[in-house]
Amino acid sequence: MDFSLDPADEAFRDEVRQFLREKLPADIAERSRRGYHPLLADVQAWTRIVYDHGWPGPNWPAEWGGCGWTHLRQFIFEEECALAGAPQLDVASFRMFGPLIMTFGSDALKNRYRDPILRGETCWGQGFSEPNAGSDLGALTTRAVREGDEYVINGRKIWTTNAHVANVLCVLARTNPESRRGFSMIIVDPKAPGVTIRPIIDIGEGHSLNETIFEDVRTPVDNLIGEEGQGWHYAKSLLDNERASSAEIPANKFNLMKLRQMAQRKRGDGTRLIDDPGFAARLARLEIDLQALEFLTLRALTEKAGGTRLPVGSLLKVRGSELFQKTGEMQLEALGDYVSYAYPPPEQSPHGIAAWPPGPAFAPGVVADFMYRRATTIYGGANEVQRQIIARSFLEL
Amino acid sequence: MSSSDAEEALCQIRDQVARLQHRYATPERLKALLDQTVGFDRALWQAAVEQGQPAIAVPEHAGGMGMGWPGLAALMEEVGKAVVSLPLIATPVVAEALLASDDEAPAARYLAPLVSGELIACVAFAEPGQTSPLQRPELACSGDTLNGSKAAAAFAAVADLALVHADADGASQLMLVPLDQPGVTRRTQPGLDNARAHAALQFRDAKAYPLLRGDAAIGKIMARVALATAFEQIGGASACLACARGYALERKAFGQPIGRFQAIKHKLVDMYWRIEIARGCALDALDALEGGNPLWPALAAAARLAAIEAYDFAARENIQTHGAMGVTWEAMPHHYYRRARCLALELGSTQAWREYLLAEAGFDAAAA
Repeated sequence: MDFSLDPADEAFRDEVRQFLREKLPADIAERSRRGYHPLLADVQAWTRIVYDHGWPGPNWPAEWGGCGWTHLRQFIFEEECALAGAPQLDVASFRMFGPLIMTFGSDALKNRYRDPILRGETCWGQGFSEPNAGSDLGALTTRAVREGDEYVINGRKIWTTNAHVANVLCVLARTNPESRRGFSMIIVDPKAPGVTIRPIIDIGEGHSLNETIFEDVRTPVDNLIGEEGQGWHYAKSLLDNERASSAEIPANKFNLMKLRQMAQRKRGDGTRLIDDPGFAARLARLEIDLQALEFLTLRALTEKAGGTRLPVGSLLKVRGSELFQKTGEMQLEALGDYVSYAYPPPEQSPHGIAAWPPGPAFAPGVVADFMYRRATTIYGGANEVQRQIIARSFLEL
Repeated sequence: MSSSDAEEALCQIRDQVARLQHRYATPERLKALLDQTVGFDRALWQAAVEQGQPAIAVPEHAGGMGMGWPGLAALMEEVGKAVVSLPLIATPVVAEALLASDDEAPAARYLAPLVSGELIACVAFAEPGQTSPLQRPELACSGDTLNGSKAAAAFAAVADLALVHADADGASQLMLVPLDQPGVTRRTQPGLDNARAHAALQFRDAKAYPLLRGDAAIGKIMARVALATAFEQIGGASACLACARGYALERKAFGQPIGRFQAIKHKLVDMYWRIEIARGCALDALDALEGGNPLWPALAAAARLAAIEAYDFAARENIQTHGAMGVTWEAMPHHYYRRARCLALELGSTQAWREYLLAEAGFDAAAA
């Protein structure tokens, strides 16, 4: 298989680089280089800049109003963005709910959400998991009962990322109590009466997760995505998309680049961590993992473009999330005693770096990222469950 | 003391400490400690002092209970299990250094209040930018005067005395510094685990007591700290295993407790063997230290390496076993995760301890 770029793709890469040099705001780049959770405002502002440049929906096909780029060009775009420190375009909008609506939704829903998504104006809360239905999503109990032109929703969702700032919620609810997987995907206004959103503070003391409670919440039946009872099927295809992007090659690449820089820095006694054979061997191991993961992704993209569809979401998710955690652990080690310091998150300190301690410029965010990254092997379906999926669907065990 | 008497005394220590911690190591109190820059539970420390915990490992002729490092090991394992943070290792370490020093003045002044728990000590060896506290220090010492700095050290924010090593004309010199003096500045900053009460120290013509001289003596002090810390790490790792096991039995998915799934069973088994290997190494080192085996520092280094591996792994996989619940502030697993990383880094990286082990075991890394 040939992964070398032809001259037109090389020229495209140069064009993306030039765009980033000219248009990526320095403060946004600086904040996202720090490994903190990206600010919603930054993500939205950046999406708008990309849109205004004439690149609406870099990963969307032309018939949806997107750029219509090849998978390879999408990959180049994302990689260059990550290396330059641009925030990732919202996964929920561009990879999950947007594609779902554009594929299965009614014309009314397509018209309602297409342009706002492309302009970076939507923020989606994914109401799938429940206290007793996480990796085992089939156990969910939230009900949606049809009454005239409305659904009445009752239930409790948990780990709803961004629900507190979302302008649209998408709820997976049981519409047919008889059928084991009689679920439907329904859009709900987070401000609707009966919706209660409670914060869940995460391991790094950040707030992106929520508990979302629905008590007799009414939503028009027009807000049903696709067909009633097909929610399970939609959720599966959407989670597969989430998993494929959770290999996060661009972000993994950026992280490893950062680790390399940290290890090359001269320390107090003039030595460098990279000169330590033990450390260098472990770093090399991660570089090999990244290369393998990148080629796996490219292969999957090429084959997808050719019409066959490898169900590689689980594979990419497992390898990508584990690589992310290992890189974070080594970054923490490379930070040495500076790890005893946390740095204020960017929204608390406009200039990012506290006046003291005078740690290296790459120190801020490393600890926060180290804490938060524990979630990567859990969200989108725990890695244990992904391994089961691989065993069942790839190996037929 | 006969061996069965000693065993009974150790059991008593464990029971006493466990009871104390049941009262103080509540999730609310532990979380409150993480929420402040310098998290130190004075009430728990006071209760520990009333039980005589700082005196446990100190020799009887110095006013202690004379239970030595086996006593300290039992104590630290309980401390680790409850994921509380108490400055109990530095006290016997400083006491040893005071007793070994030729100068009797500092012992006369500080030994009794340290053993009684009236004063708190800390060990501050790491320096800014260094990855190993076993490296030659840059902190300069001229007679009894110190100039330079030490990187953030556990309990330095609340300690009265710091044990540091400094460079005295090319030789390493162990010094005891009273921290409450104009020449000492402490700097605190929120960090990965605020319950460690970290502070970085700066010395400008600070007055200190010279105690011992030479790299070997200082290496052995680090090895003692490492050995006691290994027991704290083993205690923490065991608590992670117990916590993960409890959750695996209680949490249901796909119609059964998740502990019934092989993926979870194997995870718990992998925690278990790492902990037992670490415990084996640590007990071996303890035995060698007690028996006067000159290889004990190498064995202590091995115990540290195994304990780091066990605690890191157990803390990580405990979070994973808890699923999304494990990445919440509310749940307990992140306390262990923070502590595991801090204990792994505070005394220098695994790389530094591998080198120390090789050197102590008689392998010259440079010649190999």
